[in-house]
Amino acid sequence: MSQLLAYKNVFVKYRHNHAGVYSIKDLLTTFSMPFQYKTILDDVSFTLNKGESLGILGRNGSGKSTLLRTMANIVKPYKGTIECVGSIAPILALGVGLEMELTGYENIDLLLALYGQGRDKKKIADIIAFSELDDVTLKQAVKCYSSGMLARLSFSISFANDCAIYIIDEVLAVGDFGFQSKCIQKINELKTQGKSIIFVSHFPDEVERICDKAILLENGKIIQQGKAHDVCDYYRKLF
Amino acid sequence: MQHLNQLYALSKRNIIVRYKHSLIGFFWGFFKPLLYLLIFIVIFSSQFSSTSNHVLYITSGILFWFFFSNCTSQGVQSIVQASGLLKSVYIPAIFFPLAEVMGELFNVLLALSVYFIVMHWFGMVYTLQLFWVLPILLLFAIFSFSVTLILSALNVFYRDVGILWNTIQPAIFYLTPIAYTESLIPQRFSFVIKANPIYYFIKLFRYPLYEAIAPDFYLIGKCVLITFISLSIGILLFNRLKNQFITAI
Repeated sequence: MSQLLAYKNVFVKYRHNHAGVYSIKDLLTTFSMPFQYKTILDDVSFTLNKGESLGILGRNGSGKSTLLRTMANIVKPYKGTIECVGSIAPILALGVGLEMELTGYENIDLLLALYGQGRDKKKIADIIAFSELDDVTLKQAVKCYSSGMLARLSFSISFANDCAIYIIDEVLAVGDFGFQSKCIQKINELKTQGKSIIFVSHFPDEVERICDKAILLENGKIIQQGKAHDVCDYYRKLF
Repeated sequence: MQHLNQLYALSKRNIIVRYKHSLIGFFWGFFKPLLYLLIFIVIFSSQFSSTSNHVLYITSGILFWFFFSNCTSQGVQSIVQASGLLKSVYIPAIFFPLAEVMGELFNVLLALSVYFIVMHWFGMVYTLQLFWVLPILLLFAIFSFSVTLILSALNVFYRDVGILWNTIQPAIFYLTPIAYTESLIPQRFSFVIKANPIYYFIKLFRYPLYEAIAPDFYLIGKCVLITFISLSIGILLFNRLKNQFITAI
């Protein structure tokens, strides 16, 4: 099996702005250094093979999103190496990148271009079909959408990317039941095509269902990794 | 190629979003300079009695001032407003200020084409020299982009930059000989005008547009130098700061 992703002792540090200094007033009234360094990822190492799916578990603020951003090359590690073969679909987060003033159609166009994808008719038709949004809705400005509809749109656009790795970040929480099961179905379909999924969730049951492997993050450190089932059991016992 | 597509999509978004839900849309781009023109005619008409064609004189400066002003005042927020996209898709951050300038360039070209027609009644001389406007505009756009780069990068860390910029903009406007002629400024204060880089560009625009002659090559050299220096500073500063954008926004 070929390796898609290999993390070797990756550290990420943020220049952390602890006092929230965004104005000179704050700067003058807080008598400390405005910037401090904070370690977000601490010695993270793991590998992902082609066709495998990885679950990422962890509390809020444990570094999950930062880990995803290092995969997408948005955040660069301070130390360590990340080897990544093949393309990565952008992070699916609710409504990110959607321009609220533009219509659904215009947003599809915009995001496909930003994701570096072609804008052929078939792809757009697929997106519309998957989102189950009708023509009237898609002609409306996105700001009128409900959060579930936003999720449908952004999810559908991201799935239209043809990539080796798909990153899914806590999206299944929104969307109605029908759409959730549709997403799970789509994820399984991608898996049978030999694509890899990186799945972030707070629900160990979902991770177990979708992923083969899992890692558990705590304060930026991997405290448990291995088979999804084992890691999920460990995670459940924590609480 | 992929990057070109991204840049195109962002510029198009800026153009669409700017006038979405407005009744007269693009016409705001003509209305704003027009309003200022009327004000200046009312206030400065006695001062201009010695200047021939003062409508042409004012418009040849004011159009490009608003190009600069719109670029920078919208561009200063470009990185901050793009936080959602920057955090989820890999796009070079420099594209956001660049897209603002591109969108504004499109608007000013539209305004220019209308201007070329309307100015017929205000005594514009149509010569081949008018084509000088395009390279000068390109140079001015690069200069505006450099200023936008610096402002947008700093605004990520201190939001004061955006507020400060909007505050001092009118000052820069009145320190540029747009509504008045250079001779109005007393000799001992002329250094104030000469310290303002926009002054040189506006003067350069007036050669083909107002005087209908080829621009002075010495002045072109000055403008190229100003553009080169500001672009170097802009890119250096932006590249130094860009890795911290995501955590600071």
